[in-house]
Amino acid sequence: MSESKPATSPKKKTVKWGQAPKLSVLDALYLPAIASGLATAVRHAVSGKPTTRQYPEVEPEIPPNYRGVHRLNRDEAGRVKCVACYMCQTACPANCIEIIAAPAPKDDPHWKDRDKFPATFTIDELRCIYCGMCEEACPVDAIELTSVYDLTGMTRQEMIFDKEKLLSVFDETVKSGRDPVRTNRGKLGPASEVAPTGKDAPPPPGRGKSG
Amino acid sequence: MISRFIEYWPVLWPALAAIAVILAVVPFLGLYMTFIERKVAAYVQDRVGPNRVGPFGLFQAVADGIKIFLKEQLIPDHVYTALYFIAPSFSLITAMFALVVMPFGPVATDYKSGFRFMVAPGIDIGILMMLAISSLSAYGIIVGGWASNNKYSIYGAIRSCAQFISYEIPLGMSILGVIAITGSLNIEQIVKAQSGSLLDWNVFWQPVAMLVFFTSALAETNRLPFDLPECEQELVGGFHTEYSGIKFVLFFLAEYTHIVTVSFLTALLFLGGWHFPGLPDPSGASTLVLALGLLVLLAKVSLVVMVIILLRWALPRFRFDQLMGLAWKGLIPLALVNLVGVAIVLTLGLPKHLLIATAVLPILAAYYSAAKFNASLESDNTLRNGIQPQGAVSYE
Amino acid sequence: MVKVKVNDIEVDADPKDNCILAARKAGVEIPHYCWHESLSVVASCRMCLVEVGETKPDGTVAMGPKLVPGCQTPIKEGTIIRTDSAKVKTSQQMTLELLLLNHPLDCSICDQAGECYLQDYTYKYGNAHSRLDEPKLQREDKYHIGEQIALFTDRCVMCTRCVRFTREVSGTAELQVVARGSHEEIDVFPDTPCNNKLAGNVVDLCPVGALCSKDFLYKKRVWWLKHAESVCTGCSTGCSIHVDQNENKVYRLRPRENPQAQGHFMCDEGRFGFKYIHDDRRLKFPKLKNAASGVAATGTASQTSDLSFADPWPTVLGEVKKRIRQAIQNDPSGFVAVLSPLMTVEEAYLLASYIKGIDPRTKLTLGPVPMVGSDDLYPKGPKGEPPAPGKVKFTIRAEKCPNRLGVEAVLRHFERAVIHADSLGKSSASAWYVVGGYSAGWVTESLDQAIGTPSLLIVQDIFPSPLSDRADIVLAAGSFAEREGTYVNHAGLAQAAHASIRPPEEARADGRILMELAGRSGLFNAMALRKEIGTNIAEFSAIAIGDLGEHGVRLAKYANQTVGARS
Repeated sequence: MSESKPATSPKKKTVKWGQAPKLSVLDALYLPAIASGLATAVRHAVSGKPTTRQYPEVEPEIPPNYRGVHRLNRDEAGRVKCVACYMCQTACPANCIEIIAAPAPKDDPHWKDRDKFPATFTIDELRCIYCGMCEEACPVDAIELTSVYDLTGMTRQEMIFDKEKLLSVFDETVKSGRDPVRTNRGKLGPASEVAPTGKDAPPPPGRGKSG
Repeated sequence: MISRFIEYWPVLWPALAAIAVILAVVPFLGLYMTFIERKVAAYVQDRVGPNRVGPFGLFQAVADGIKIFLKEQLIPDHVYTALYFIAPSFSLITAMFALVVMPFGPVATDYKSGFRFMVAPGIDIGILMMLAISSLSAYGIIVGGWASNNKYSIYGAIRSCAQFISYEIPLGMSILGVIAITGSLNIEQIVKAQSGSLLDWNVFWQPVAMLVFFTSALAETNRLPFDLPECEQELVGGFHTEYSGIKFVLFFLAEYTHIVTVSFLTALLFLGGWHFPGLPDPSGASTLVLALGLLVLLAKVSLVVMVIILLRWALPRFRFDQLMGLAWKGLIPLALVNLVGVAIVLTLGLPKHLLIATAVLPILAAYYSAAKFNASLESDNTLRNGIQPQGAVSYE
Repeated sequence: MVKVKVNDIEVDADPKDNCILAARKAGVEIPHYCWHESLSVVASCRMCLVEVGETKPDGTVAMGPKLVPGCQTPIKEGTIIRTDSAKVKTSQQMTLELLLLNHPLDCSICDQAGECYLQDYTYKYGNAHSRLDEPKLQREDKYHIGEQIALFTDRCVMCTRCVRFTREVSGTAELQVVARGSHEEIDVFPDTPCNNKLAGNVVDLCPVGALCSKDFLYKKRVWWLKHAESVCTGCSTGCSIHVDQNENKVYRLRPRENPQAQGHFMCDEGRFGFKYIHDDRRLKFPKLKNAASGVAATGTASQTSDLSFADPWPTVLGEVKKRIRQAIQNDPSGFVAVLSPLMTVEEAYLLASYIKGIDPRTKLTLGPVPMVGSDDLYPKGPKGEPPAPGKVKFTIRAEKCPNRLGVEAVLRHFERAVIHADSLGKSSASAWYVVGGYSAGWVTESLDQAIGTPSLLIVQDIFPSPLSDRADIVLAAGSFAEREGTYVNHAGLAQAAHASIRPPEEARADGRILMELAGRSGLFNAMALRKEIGTNIAEFSAIAIGDLGEHGVRLAKYANQTVGARS
């Protein structure tokens, strides 16, 4: 088709035409390509270096800022730290938190310095998307996400955590030293620390070690 | 009637025994083919594969089987119920039926009585019957796709229909050479003809035929890279989208039975069957020789099965026009030219090993196709705007 | 009208306005805590300090040398108000910093958070941080201020709005400031808690979270509440209110400023009197008593078991229509409809036009008008005596229904007279359609006797009553929060009320029931109905505009009457 004229207009934009590579006889035969494909498959098959992690026996290392099951922190007196301000419920994009507030039992000397406390505090762990907004919204560092990632249950009902259950998560995770209290007024907790960079840094997620 | 039965009993019982073996082994084989496939796939992908049920995950297949048998029998509202039920069973029946004329161990051509590795030995149209019956399996898929009353399923069925028709031709033509030179459609005869040295194996004088046969057979079994009737990305599940539980298993079993059949055929027709240099002919041989022959055959079959499984992870899926092009523009001409070669050799009475020269056929074809493609590249480039696109060019 | 310049925006203002009002007309907000439109000026919070100047006759502008409180400074022709100068802004920041010196940072548990003027103004005008290093003063909370009121003493900014309210509006003067300086506190005398009938208003007046309603305390954060403009149905004053609800539950009522109706306030009777709408005893399902067997056929099944999802209404309403038509055919003049003074104008109109449309010989009557005591006028004198006629600032009326005038007007149009249902005596009426909607037992003895046991009794009500017990058909209706429509108050002010929640279970708002009964197509649309009523009934011509606005419109007939609750 030689009748089309060469472009005459000023050459302002340069474009690199992509060009399909020419085929050699071997390319067109396909068999060498198939053989090399098979060879790659076989090479991997016999390499004997699977990257699979045998999960229940080998547990993954969970980073300290992992967002797992929630807990309700206790204050120094062992009371629930939450003041029922509904900030987490307001911030929650999944509407999984439900609080019913009540005036603190003023007659009880244990509660003398508190005005308001959560009579009930319920998180639907199944509805939660584990975004951590509740933790960020909390003005008193009462709700935190722990590194407990293997939450399972047989019924939907048992996955709805009430106040006692959430406090027991605190007791378990803090006493076992698994998750120290993450957020503290004035200083950053371990979860907020900058990840190490350079040689010692763990590989970025999503990349296997072997090709 | 009963007297006739008793009269024929000596020849009947070996057939019944062989049928029993097939019926017992094939579903089991189907289950373990999935296991092997998963395991191989895992190793190819640097994974471990099923390893939880039993040692090395060996019982995974059994667990899967039990689970899938216990699954709810779900019948979607919108299907044609009768056809919906018929399709998977039809699929499996045809797949199993093809095994009737398939020797799954050493079988002597002069068979008289006693147990042997074949349901119906000495059938003179054996290979023809095999082809005829295995092409019936297309109906299982087409009926399944139609009965599902679902666009994706019917697309899968139509694709499979076109694919079957196209690949039947090279499949049949590719073995014509072998048949012509052996002079028999009887599978035992064909195998017997390869009994001499290693060079007597058909693959060594019909390499092109084996290539065409194997490729077409892959297409017939709906294996990757020819699994367009059920490609998940385009058609959800293709013809078996609406199937689950045991009905799905029947389809699955049929597919794996096909793979086994094809592997056996490849081994029998081209790789010398149960023959191996040094191993005597099975006619009148001892049990040990028979056992050795069985092992040889099974080893060859396993090799072919392994290649089929590995190919799945080595090749991408074809586009449908490429699939049709391969059959009509690649395999059929190759098989035709191969057949002409065989005819010449036969007519002129030349030694059949001259046919090894057909190995250049694919190379010639590749040369032609490469030249054509490169020429089209040139014309494409001139078409763009009359400028040779060497390096950077400009436009307004 | 005088011309005033606010931040270079020229506006016409009333010469009686102060700077805050004049600026408001220009769309400029002058922040303030202690000043309130209905209370006297004390200029104590210093939040509204602005620069004020005047235009001399020769056109030059002379600004005052120092900042003046906007609430206390009157305006005149040519007054210049500046709220955006650096001087004003610095002053606002300082004022807020000082107000916040001892204010605890407990927004997270404070009920006012979200509608708190300290929060809002600090956000808009304040400093981001405090320079105070010392610990804040902490003072005891006072739960003894009143039955409905708790005082969180350390949150108080000493604006004294509450003190002035009890002195000037309620006249009861329970609250006062005790001590001086930073020890200043709001308090009551021992054993004289602030329990007057207007006490709830001090919670609304409090610009911060110091005075909280015990009833609402910690029940809901205010940002969850959705507001609907409505009218209080507690008495014929017809206070404009906001109904605050969340997830179909009403949490509180708040007065809505309406100079035509009641001003800024509402009484505690109305404020806390809404609880009955969430009462468990409410009628939740329509009921149909089978005439042959005397057994309830529909409704009761679904009332006892929650498994029945069948909508009982089509059956019930079909039956109602059939039975009404039958009864009217048999004995047209023996069919009596009782219209409750709690109905909206629209509902009354729908029912009246439906019944009269079948046969004009049917009778429409007015249901019992609840009267309790006599009108309660405020501010009270030192001994609790009512104020002099011209000095009334708030009235709680004896007539405990919102719409007697409206329903009467509808009756006058259709019936040419207002017949009271309980004046019928032992009548010979054979069929009754009785509309209730009252919050408590309302069936008077005379009405009960008048109705007797007729051949057909249809009751449309929200609570079970002796009438609904023996009714052939019971239609579960809606309360004021679920209804939509127009109420005409004691002074002929027609106000629009909007529905805020859905009726419980299968109950339906009266408007919806009557709409279907009357065979009209479409949904109940108060505005469209108002237009229709306005064109059809001369007395209601004022509401033909449809949209009555926030403050409502006065019916022409009552235009000469004195305005508002203060009368």
